[in-house]
Amino acid sequence: MAGPAHPEAMAPPTPGRTRVAPPQMPATWWSAKRIRTYLLFDATGVIYFLVAFVAIRLVDALGAGPEAWNAAMESLRNPLYIVFHLLSLACVIFVAVRFFRLFPKSQPPMIGPLKPPPGPVIHAMLYVVWLGITALMTAILAGAIL
Amino acid sequence: MRSLLLKIEPIIWLLFGQGILIGTMLLTGWILVVGLLVPMGMVDASALSYQRAHGLATSWLFGILPVGQLVLAALLVLPLWKGAHHVRSLLIDFGGAERDGVVGGLLYGVAAVGSLIAILAVVGL
Repeated sequence: MAGPAHPEAMAPPTPGRTRVAPPQMPATWWSAKRIRTYLLFDATGVIYFLVAFVAIRLVDALGAGPEAWNAAMESLRNPLYIVFHLLSLACVIFVAVRFFRLFPKSQPPMIGPLKPPPGPVIHAMLYVVWLGITALMTAILAGAIL
Repeated sequence: MRSLLLKIEPIIWLLFGQGILIGTMLLTGWILVVGLLVPMGMVDASALSYQRAHGLATSWLFGILPVGQLVLAALLVLPLWKGAHHVRSLLIDFGGAERDGVVGGLLYGVAAVGSLIAILAVVGL
C-alpha cells in the first residue's frame, strides 16, 4: 500500500515563480458582493474566537465558586458586552444561514452504500435541528424547563 | 511549519467543520440567553443562579452520560477551531500565503491552548 504523499511533492524543483500564479485578492474586492460575503463569512471567525473565550471565562468562574460566578454574570451587563453579544448573535445566524445553504452542495454522490437525501431535504433538516437545539437550549438556560 | 500543518490538516478540518456545524447550533441559544436575555433583564437572573447553573453544567443523562459537561466542552472548544481556521483564511486573502506557516501555527496554537484551558475548566466543575 502506498504511503502518504510528501507535502512538498508538488513543489517546483527550484524555488522561484512558476507558471501557476498564486491566488491574489483583487484590488476591487470591496465592490464585488460575492467576495464581500465570502470575506464576511471568514471574518466571523474573529467573533467565534472571542465568544469562545468569553464562555471559557464564565465556565472557569463557575468552577471557582458562587462569588466568581456572580461577578462574571454581573460583568455581562456592561453595554459593551451587550453590543458584543448582539454582534455575535448576528454573526452566528449569518454563519448558519450561509453554511446550511452550502452544506447540501458539498455532499458526495454516495455515502457508503447509501445515496444522500436531496439537497432541499438536507437543507430543511439542518434548519429543523438548529432551531430545535436553539429552542431547547434557550428554554433550559432561561429556566422554562428543567 | 507548513509541512506540519499539511500533515494535521484532516484533524484541523474535522474540528473546523464541527466548529461551524455544532458550534453554531450550540452558540445561538447560549448567546441569546447568557449574553443577552439575562444581562438585559428579560429573563430572571435566578435562571442562571450559581446553584442552577452548576447543576445544569454537571447534569447527567440517565446516570451514564455527563451531558452538561459534554455540551459545555463542545460549546467552548469547537468555535475556537472555526475561528482559527477562518481567521487564517482571511489573513491569506489579505496578506498572501508567504507567512501562512507562522500565522497558521500561531492561530491553531491559540486554539489548542484555549481548548486545553476549556477542557480543564469543564472537568474542574
